[in-house]
Amino acid sequence: MDQVQVRSMTTPALTKRPLRASATAALAAVLLAACGGGAPTTENPVTSETPPVGYQGPPPATADVQSFKLNVWDNVHTSNRCGACHNESVNQAPLFARNDDVNLAYEAANTVVNLTQPGNSRLVEKVGTGHNCWLSSAQACADIMTTWIEGWAGEIATGGRQIVLEAPVSTAPGASKNYANATVQDFATLVHEPLLLEYCAGCHSSSAPTSQQPYFAEADAEAAFEAAKQRMDLDDPANSRFVLRLGNEFHNCWDVGCAASAAEMQAAIQAFADTVPLTEIDPALINSLALRIVDGTIAAGGNRFENDQVALWEFKTGSGTTAYDTSGVDPAIDLTLSGDVAWFGGWGITVNDGKAQGSTSASKKLHDLIRGTGEYSIEAWVVPANVTQEMARIVSYSAGDDARNFTLQQTLYDYQHLLRSTETSLNGDPALSTPSAEEVLQASLQHVVATFSPVNGRRTFVNGELRTGQDPVPGGSLVDWQDTFAFVLGNEVSNSGLWQGTIRLVAVHNRALTPEQVVQNFDVGVGEKFFLLFSIEDIINVPTAYILFEVSQYDTYGYLFNEPRFITLDESQQVQGIPIQGLRIGINGDEVSVGQSYANLDSVLDTAAFGELGQPLSALGAIMPLEKGPEDDEFFLTFDLLGTQSYVRTGDPALVVTPEDLPPAQRIGIRTFDEINATMATVTGVDPETTAVDMTFQKLRQSLPAVENIQTFLSSHQVAIAQLAIEYCNALVEGPDAATYFSNFNFDQAPATAYSETNRNQVIDPLIDRVMGIAIQTQPDFTVVRDELGYVSSDGARPDNLIDRLLVSPDNPNTRAIAKGVCAAVLGSAVTLVQ
Amino acid sequence: MNNRTTAYQHFAAPWTNLAMRCLAAIIVLASTGLLSVADAGPREQAKRIHDRLAGVPPSEAVLVQMEADVQAGNAGAIDAAYTAMANPNFYNVTLKNFAAPWTNREGDAFVPLNDYIATVVGMIRDDVPFNQLLSADLLYIGNPSLGVPPYSSSNNSHYEAIESNNHDMQTGLVQTTQSSLTGLPPSATAGVMTTRAAAEAFFVAGTNRAMFRFTMMNHMCNDMEQVHDTKLPPDRIRQDVSRSPGGDSRLFLNNCIGCHNGMDPMAQAFAYYNFNPDTGSIEYTPGQVQPKYFNNEDNFPFGFRTPDDSWDNYWRAGQNQFLGWDPSLPGSGVGAKSMGEELANSDAFASCQVKKVFRAVCLRAPEDATDRSQVDQMVTSFKTGYSMKQTFAEAAVYCMGQ
Repeated sequence: MDQVQVRSMTTPALTKRPLRASATAALAAVLLAACGGGAPTTENPVTSETPPVGYQGPPPATADVQSFKLNVWDNVHTSNRCGACHNESVNQAPLFARNDDVNLAYEAANTVVNLTQPGNSRLVEKVGTGHNCWLSSAQACADIMTTWIEGWAGEIATGGRQIVLEAPVSTAPGASKNYANATVQDFATLVHEPLLLEYCAGCHSSSAPTSQQPYFAEADAEAAFEAAKQRMDLDDPANSRFVLRLGNEFHNCWDVGCAASAAEMQAAIQAFADTVPLTEIDPALINSLALRIVDGTIAAGGNRFENDQVALWEFKTGSGTTAYDTSGVDPAIDLTLSGDVAWFGGWGITVNDGKAQGSTSASKKLHDLIRGTGEYSIEAWVVPANVTQEMARIVSYSAGDDARNFTLQQTLYDYQHLLRSTETSLNGDPALSTPSAEEVLQASLQHVVATFSPVNGRRTFVNGELRTGQDPVPGGSLVDWQDTFAFVLGNEVSNSGLWQGTIRLVAVHNRALTPEQVVQNFDVGVGEKFFLLFSIEDIINVPTAYILFEVSQYDTYGYLFNEPRFITLDESQQVQGIPIQGLRIGINGDEVSVGQSYANLDSVLDTAAFGELGQPLSALGAIMPLEKGPEDDEFFLTFDLLGTQSYVRTGDPALVVTPEDLPPAQRIGIRTFDEINATMATVTGVDPETTAVDMTFQKLRQSLPAVENIQTFLSSHQVAIAQLAIEYCNALVEGPDAATYFSNFNFDQAPATAYSETNRNQVIDPLIDRVMGIAIQTQPDFTVVRDELGYVSSDGARPDNLIDRLLVSPDNPNTRAIAKGVCAAVLGSAVTLVQ
Repeated sequence: MNNRTTAYQHFAAPWTNLAMRCLAAIIVLASTGLLSVADAGPREQAKRIHDRLAGVPPSEAVLVQMEADVQAGNAGAIDAAYTAMANPNFYNVTLKNFAAPWTNREGDAFVPLNDYIATVVGMIRDDVPFNQLLSADLLYIGNPSLGVPPYSSSNNSHYEAIESNNHDMQTGLVQTTQSSLTGLPPSATAGVMTTRAAAEAFFVAGTNRAMFRFTMMNHMCNDMEQVHDTKLPPDRIRQDVSRSPGGDSRLFLNNCIGCHNGMDPMAQAFAYYNFNPDTGSIEYTPGQVQPKYFNNEDNFPFGFRTPDDSWDNYWRAGQNQFLGWDPSLPGSGVGAKSMGEELANSDAFASCQVKKVFRAVCLRAPEDATDRSQVDQMVTSFKTGYSMKQTFAEAAVYCMGQ
C-alpha cells in the first residue's frame, strides 16, 4: 500500500507538513486511493518455522527474523549469490548471508535494507549497479532483490511502500536541439549511410540473417531514424548510446578499433547535430522550472497482490534477448526472445513476428507449483495490435498445436482460456471465451486475468471486471498436466499461433486470484510512474509551490502526464485566490503543439481546496510525444495566466482553401432511375401505378442509372431501360388511351395496311412529338428519327427502317406489336434518357 | 408476389423477341441523341430547366410558357424555373432523391421514403428557412385524407405507403411538429437530426458520433478528414478512444486526436439520445447520459467522462474557423437543438446547400472561377432568406445552357 509523504529538501526546517506527517492508517488508505491503490496487503503465505536442511544454526529468534530468513536469507545465502562472500568464512562485511546464525545475519541485513522503501535498499543498489549480479542484467537482479526485501517488509508493515515527495533540483528550461527540427536526409547522409548501414546492418536490420532490434540500420532511412533517435544525444554527441556502446562496451567495433570507431561515430553524430538548430524557449512564456522524468519520485510498484505469485516478467531490461522472471521464486523462467520481438518503451515487449519462450526445465516450476495447489491465475497487461487475429497465443504453457496445460489467447474481440484438466481435452478444449458480442478485447492497454479453481472453474477478468459467465466445464483436476511443456509468450511453441501486440507484464500465480485481488492489481497499473514537481514558486511568489504531475512512459513513443495538482511542500504557506489558466506542457525548450489536455484549464489556486496531495486541478491525462527518450527529455509547464503574470496567445488563423479548377465536365447528363420512370409515364400518359409497369419498374429500379454522369452509362442500363420502355409501350398501346394518343391510326387493320406509307406517320409523329419534344434544337432532327423508324423515299423505295423490318419479320407481328416496337425504340432511346 | 411476377411475365413474354430486335434501333437512336448537342435558344433552355428541376420533360403548353419567360430575361427565367418546380415530380422525384442519401450511412438513394426525406421536401415546398433544418421542431407527414397508415414513431409504414401509392408530395404533405408526435419535448427536437429515420441510422448503437459525422458530411460538405486539426485541446475526448492504438501513441497524436478533439465536444450534444432497435423508436433521457457514452471506458481511464449534454465548438479557434461560424451565436450550448443552430448558421452550411443544389441541377460540381463566382452569389442570395427553392431556380437558370 503506497503512502505518500511530502518532504522539502530545500527547506529542511519545513521537512514535512504536519497534516501529512500525522497520517494515520486511515489516512494511508486515502493516500493509497490517490495513487491508484486497492485492497489491503495480506500476509505472506509460507510460515514454516523449521529451518531447511543445511541450516544448522540457532532458530530464528523472532517472527521478523523468521520472515527475513524465508524471504531474503534463503535466497541469498547460497554460494552462487551473496553467500559466496558475505559469510562468516570469507568475512566480507556486512555478513547478511552468514550460514552459522541467521539471527546475526538478520542484524547485518538491517544495516543494508530499507524496509520502508525496499527499492532504495543498499542491497538493491549494489546488485543494481552490477555488483556480483548473478544474472546478465543488473536491473533484473535489483528487481529480484527488491521482491525479496518486499516479501520481508510485507511481514512487518501493513502500509506497504512509502513514497516521499522531495523537492527536486530544478533548472530553467534550457535551449536544446530537438528532432522536430532535424531532417531524415541529414541523418541519412551523415550517420545512416556512412556508418550504420556500413557497420551495423549485419544485425540491426530486419533483413539481416540474424536480425536484432533495434533496426537503426534498416535500409529505409526513415525507419532507421526512428530507431536511432534515442541512441543519439544531439546536445552531447559524446554521450550518445551509439558512441558509448563502441567506446566503453566494445560492441562490434569495426576494423579501426573501438576508440577510433567511437570517435568516428561521435564525429558523425556531431556533424548531424550541427545541422539541427537550437530550440530556444520563448522568453515571453510564463513557464515553470524544468525537470526530467528521472528527477521525479517513483510512484509505482509496491502494492500488487503477489502472495501466490510464482513467476513474474516486467520486461524492464529494455535490451538484449532475455526477459527475466523477477518473481524471486526459483527456478526463474527467463524467456528468450526470438524472431521479430522488440522492447517496448516504458517496460514491455512488442511481438511482431516471434515469441518469448522459457526452457522446459525452468517452465516445470509452473507444473510443480500449480499442480500442487490445483488452481492458478494468469495475469497480463497487454496491448493487442489488432482485433483481427485468431487463435493467437498471448500466454501459453504448451507443447504445440495439440497439447497444452493452459493458454490465454486472442480470437478477434475475445480472450479465450484453454486448460487441460480431467474435464477437458489434452489440448485444453473447449475454450472459455469472453462474449463475442461484448467485444471485450480492444486494441488498447488491457489488464487480463484468467483464473482457474476447481470450485469456480475458469474465469476471465478484464480491467478488473469479471467478463465471463459460469464455466460450462466442471472444475476438474490438473493431474494430467505435463512437465515437459514450455512456457511461451506471443506465439505457440511451434510458432504456429502468432499473436501480435505488446506485453507489458505477465505474472503467474498458483492460486485463483479473488475478484478483490484482481482489482487490486488492476488499480496498481503497469509500468514505472513518477511524481514530477514543477516549481512555480518564482511566478506566484509562494515558497515550495509546485504543480505535481504523475508522469509515466506510456509506450515507446509517448508519455502520459496525469492528474495535475497544485501543492506546497511547506504547508505553512497559505495560498488563496491565485488564478491559473491555460496550462501547457513543454518539452526540450518548446511547447508541445499537440495533446495539450489542460489548455482550457481555468481554476483558482486555493489552500482551502487542498486534499492530501494538494489541490486537484484536473482529472484528465495528457499524452505527450517522446522526443529524445525518458532520460533526456526535459519537461516544463507554461501558463496563459498564473497569478499576476499572463501570456497572450495568438491562435492559428483560419485555413485558407484555394480552390483548384476541375477538368471541364459534361454539361449534359442522363436521367436517373425515378426520373426515367417519371419521364416515361409523362410522355406516354401511362399511370406508373399500372400493375405491370410498376412491377417492372420495381424489379428494374436498381438496374437503371443511379447517377447523372453520362460516362457512367453501361450497356446493362440500356437493357433495363429497354425493358421498362417496352412495358410502358405495351400499356400505352393496349390501354384505353391508345386511340387518343395515336389518333387516326387503325390498330384493327392488318399490318401491311395499317403501316402503309401514308398511315405509318400516325404512329411515328405523336411518339416523336411527345417523347422528343417539338422543335427543340438540342434534340435529334425530327426527320432523322422518323426515317430511322419508318422512312419511305419519294420513289416508294423502303430502305432499311424499323417498321419495314418488322413487317417482314419471321415472328409475323401484328399491328399492335409493331406499334409497341416503334414506341419502345423512341421511348427507350437517348432522346428520353439524356437531360 | 408470385401473382404479380406472373402478371409481369404474362405481359413481358410476348415481347421478348421483339424487344431484342428493337434494342438495335434503340441504341442507334441513343447514339443519334448523344450527338445532337446544338446551341440552346430560349426553348431549349426552358426544356433544360424543366428537365433538371422536375426530372421529366415539360408538356408543350408548359414549354411554351417557360420559353416566353426565359425570353423575358433573367427574372423571367427564374419564373420559368418556378413553373418547372410546380411539377409534382420536382417533389416526388427530384427532392426525394436529393435528400434520400442523407438519411443512411451508405449514402444510398434507393431507400424508402421516410420522415427525414419528407421533412426536407416539405421545408423546401413551403420555403421554410433552410437554416432551421437542424434545429426546428418540425415534421412533415402525409395528409390524413391520403388514406395511408397514420404516422408512427416506431415504424416507417406511413411514409412507405405514401411512396408506394405515388401520392403527390406537393399537395399531400402537411406540416406538424415532432414534439406532438414523437414524444420528444420541444426543446429536444433538432430538425432532421431528431427524425426517426436519422435516429435509426445514426443514433443506433455506437457512440452517437455518427450523427455528428454524417451531419457534417451531408450538411457541411466536410468529412472529418477535412477538419482535421491536431492542435486543439483534446480535453473532451472520451475514454473510449485509445491513446495508444495497438501500442503506438503516435497514431493517436497524429491522427485520432485531430478529429476527436473537435468532434467529441460537439457530439456531446447528443448525450441523451439513443435509438432503440427493439421498439423502433428514438429515446431521449433528459439529465441522464446514455450508457453508450461510457463504452470502453477503460481504454483510457484518464479521458473525458460525459457529465451532461453541453457542447462546445472548438472549431471556432484554429484552422477550422474557415467553416465560417456565425459570430452572433455563442459557440457553445446545451443539447442538440442549439448545436444544430450552430452548424446551420455557418457559412459552410450555406455553401454546402448551394453546392449540393448546383450539383443536382447542373449535374456537375462547380469547376472554374465563373462557377465559383456563381456559387458565391447563390450563397449570398441563399443567406438572405434560406430559400432552397430560390437556390434551385438560380442553379437551373445558370445551367440552362447558352
